[in-house]
Amino acid sequence: MKSKTKINLISVSLSFLVTFVIIFALLLLIDKNPFEVFSLILSEVFASGYGIGQTLFKATPLIICGCGLAVCFHASLFNIGAEGQLNAGSFTIALVAVYAGDLSFPVMLILCLVCGFIVSGVVGLIPAYIKIKKDVSEVISTIMLNFIILALVNYFLVDFFAVKSTMRTEKIVDGNMLFKLSDIFPFFQGSSLNASFFIALLLAVVTYILIYKTQFGYKLRAVGFNETASKYIGIKTNKIILASFFTGAGITSLAGINYILGYKGFYEFGFSNNVGFTAIAVALLAKNNPIGIIFSALLFAILDYGGLSVNQLVPKEIMLVVQGIIILSILGVDRIVNNYFEKRGLV
Amino acid sequence: MELLNSLISLTFFAQVLRLMTPFYLGASASNFSERGGVINIAIEGFMNLSAFSFVLFSLLTGNITAGFILAVIINLVFSLVYSFFTVNLKINQIVTGVGFNLLIAGITKFLLVLIFKSSSNTERFEGLPDLNLFKSVPFLEIVFSDYLTIFCFALIFISGFVLFKTKFGLRLRSVGENPGAAESLGIRVKSYKLSGILISGFLSSLAGIWLASNQNSYSDGMIAGRGYIAIAAMIIGKWKPVNIFFACLIFSAFEALEITLQISGTNIPTQLIQMLPYLITILVLIGFVGKTKPPAAVGS
Repeated sequence: MKSKTKINLISVSLSFLVTFVIIFALLLLIDKNPFEVFSLILSEVFASGYGIGQTLFKATPLIICGCGLAVCFHASLFNIGAEGQLNAGSFTIALVAVYAGDLSFPVMLILCLVCGFIVSGVVGLIPAYIKIKKDVSEVISTIMLNFIILALVNYFLVDFFAVKSTMRTEKIVDGNMLFKLSDIFPFFQGSSLNASFFIALLLAVVTYILIYKTQFGYKLRAVGFNETASKYIGIKTNKIILASFFTGAGITSLAGINYILGYKGFYEFGFSNNVGFTAIAVALLAKNNPIGIIFSALLFAILDYGGLSVNQLVPKEIMLVVQGIIILSILGVDRIVNNYFEKRGLV
Repeated sequence: MELLNSLISLTFFAQVLRLMTPFYLGASASNFSERGGVINIAIEGFMNLSAFSFVLFSLLTGNITAGFILAVIINLVFSLVYSFFTVNLKINQIVTGVGFNLLIAGITKFLLVLIFKSSSNTERFEGLPDLNLFKSVPFLEIVFSDYLTIFCFALIFISGFVLFKTKFGLRLRSVGENPGAAESLGIRVKSYKLSGILISGFLSSLAGIWLASNQNSYSDGMIAGRGYIAIAAMIIGKWKPVNIFFACLIFSAFEALEITLQISGTNIPTQLIQMLPYLITILVLIGFVGKTKPPAAVGS
């Protein structure tokens, strides 16, 4: 186990290095000074409490969504549908928060989370069902469902629930919002960092326990490792596939609380800004370990927030390139490193 | 009534056949890769990449042919890397494919802003030259208005011939069904997988080029899941060239319907019309597909 951790650390740091070198070369290629770009990112993120707060704020939905995906990925279910799932769930959360606004705060909060979780989870059951019954890869069905769910949410939003001539729901009353950290620590003055961050950390711990310390988690990993073998030792694999898709998709819905209950107070179309896709990279980089996801989410948040600051030098879209390169280099480097150690009998 | 009229017209049917081109090219791309045992989810990204590079290099060089060749070459290079990841390093094909799609989406968005100073689309360009072979033949004029569509129809027979009547096809399929047995017969498994992926890269490149040419520009997100729909069409067509053709017709028919509905201005909300192709894909996958049987060694 210990040598495994060591190998993981080696491959993660090597793939960072690879990514860094490629981006460095890319920046030189388009005639920009890499040092200027990198230092601008770091100074924007770390120079002020505001920068740190904003970075943690951006990390929050990535942690939550990454944890949800990790549950699916551990069962070898490649869920690409997080973007649709979390939008369905977040939309529900915003509506419940508005229409159940008279309830006491804890009751309302729990009701929001439960409803969001269930709606997202049910959306997640669709690809699971198609996979079990028709043996159709969840990748294709979840991608199709992304388009469908986003169109449906858009339709219900615009035609039924939106504030006139906007793309957002009504605002939640102030008393029902999560507290901002800047209210307690003036250090974070002006940033949107809120209590969702702690919920995200808690969720990472809970997901870690769920995956590594419970019977369900054991079965889930067994199915992910070898479905046929799991069937023969008596695991009801179909049930596990349904359950992990429901749980994983359900968790992704909670990514919405950061924006809805912690920041703006309403659901707005396009709020998620592709969190559902970035979270794939977040989970992969952390090798689907929820505690690792906290750190990889922080890295992507630095890239995301820092990317805004370099926009004057290089288009901020370069961060999407960085994300893609990180995914591929972690995949490639990890395999090469593992092959290397296996050949020498070190694993 | 007017809507109904426009639906049962010959023009509509011609549109269906024409719009089938990117689906069939994509589905064949996916088929050649899977016949060799490699799932290629990256079709979506490959289509995206070559649509972009075709427009970019056509505008930069001022020469459509140069743009075409460069777009194909770039796709082949990416296919080579894809093959290195999936065949040589044996990394999970689906994860790799998704990684490629995200990377390519990032590259195109980045270059779009960097070069064209726009986050949505490039300037207009001419696109592929028109095919004048069927000029003023009523129905065929619309269907075969470009070279790629006519190639696409030929491809139904070409791919059937290559896969089932040639030594190459037999070996490619044997690699996809049982690589161990193929290897013991002296077949170079890796080279066959690589060539399947390269054909896949080439055909998906044509699909992207057709799409860019069809709208005379590149816009962000223009592939809109067609690569994935093409894979669904391949599954529904059970990996057989002719069946895939009919599966693609279903999807292009609904795309043509979507366009007709949008033009005719019905009172169906636009969001619901837009989700039609994707909904149909899911429904077809749930409803019509019996137990599908991919090449036995696909994914391993």
